[in-house]
Amino acid sequence: MSRRALAVVAVAVAVLVGGGLALALAVTSGEAKHETSTGPAAVSEVAAMLRGIPQQGIALGSPRAPVTLVEFADPQCPYCGEWARTAFPEIVRRYVRTGKVRVVFNGMAFVGPDSATALRTALAAGRQGRFWNVLELLFQNQGVENTGWVTEPLLRSIGDAVPGLDTQTMLDERDSPAVDRSISEAQALAYRAGVNATPAFAVGRTGQTLHAVRLESLDASGLEPSLDAALKS
Amino acid sequence: MTDRRLRGTVLVLSALGATIAAYLTYTHVADVPVSCVTGGCRAVQTSSYAELGGVPVAALGLVAYVAVGSTALFRSDVALALGSAAALAGFVFAAYLVYVQAAILDAYCQWCLASDAVLLALVPLTLLRLRRA
Repeated sequence: MSRRALAVVAVAVAVLVGGGLALALAVTSGEAKHETSTGPAAVSEVAAMLRGIPQQGIALGSPRAPVTLVEFADPQCPYCGEWARTAFPEIVRRYVRTGKVRVVFNGMAFVGPDSATALRTALAAGRQGRFWNVLELLFQNQGVENTGWVTEPLLRSIGDAVPGLDTQTMLDERDSPAVDRSISEAQALAYRAGVNATPAFAVGRTGQTLHAVRLESLDASGLEPSLDAALKS
Repeated sequence: MTDRRLRGTVLVLSALGATIAAYLTYTHVADVPVSCVTGGCRAVQTSSYAELGGVPVAALGLVAYVAVGSTALFRSDVALALGSAAALAGFVFAAYLVYVQAAILDAYCQWCLASDAVLLALVPLTLLRLRRA
């Protein structure tokens, strides 16, 4: 066989083998992720809202953002859910995605046992860099307080719906010491900040003293004046 | 560049790629965290895209590097063609894996990207050897 023919055969074989492997992986992995047809609500909306934004545990947004927004909320509290569904996407779009604000979530679990289960699951996902994906899907699929809506099938379907998240590892790590530590740190912080209702917010320049924000409304306009003021200060 | 130099470079790059692939295979099989600056390594390494039919994708990379590296030890036309084919096949597959990290997982693993860069460098080098031989 001439060298030229050999080269052509080599290239053809390579493209076939490489492409074949890629196709095989696409087919097998695609099946693994999409076997449930009725998944949780708002999966694509949450994925689109968070795509490409850095997450470090409970923090969302660039670590170099000039302003920090701290949120105290319970995954079961209805107002927290309403805020997450109506105001948060706008806050993310205008302030977080643009690198102006970094959001830190301090989870509370005072409403009932489901709060702790939901919170622990999100914190465990945070160990894989997917805290916000799971938290926002919990808010999107929030049920009535203390009715037992935080079921294992719901958590499993939420985990399966988050790209790049290993659901079983998330479920296994819910009672890990790291998750215990996050919960007690958030509780201590809420106590020091005097949080007595949720959702509660504090805003300030990153690394400096934060100031509590009194929300006038549960849409984005309730928080925007405080964020704009902090950005100008 | 002399063929001697080309072969040396191909060998060094293959060894480098094989080291990365071996490390990723080990961390995947032993289920230990990958040392990571991009934050997405764990998401990538535990995703459903990290294995193909039960075989870790990193192990496939290891096979490709060993194949490319061993062909650099020979001068026959067939060895040269096999080297180019292995590097190019690896690169086509790696390009898909970069797409998966960017478009599907939204997470990057720096070691995987480093391995992809090594493959990208190996493709022209092995093709050059084939053309020159």
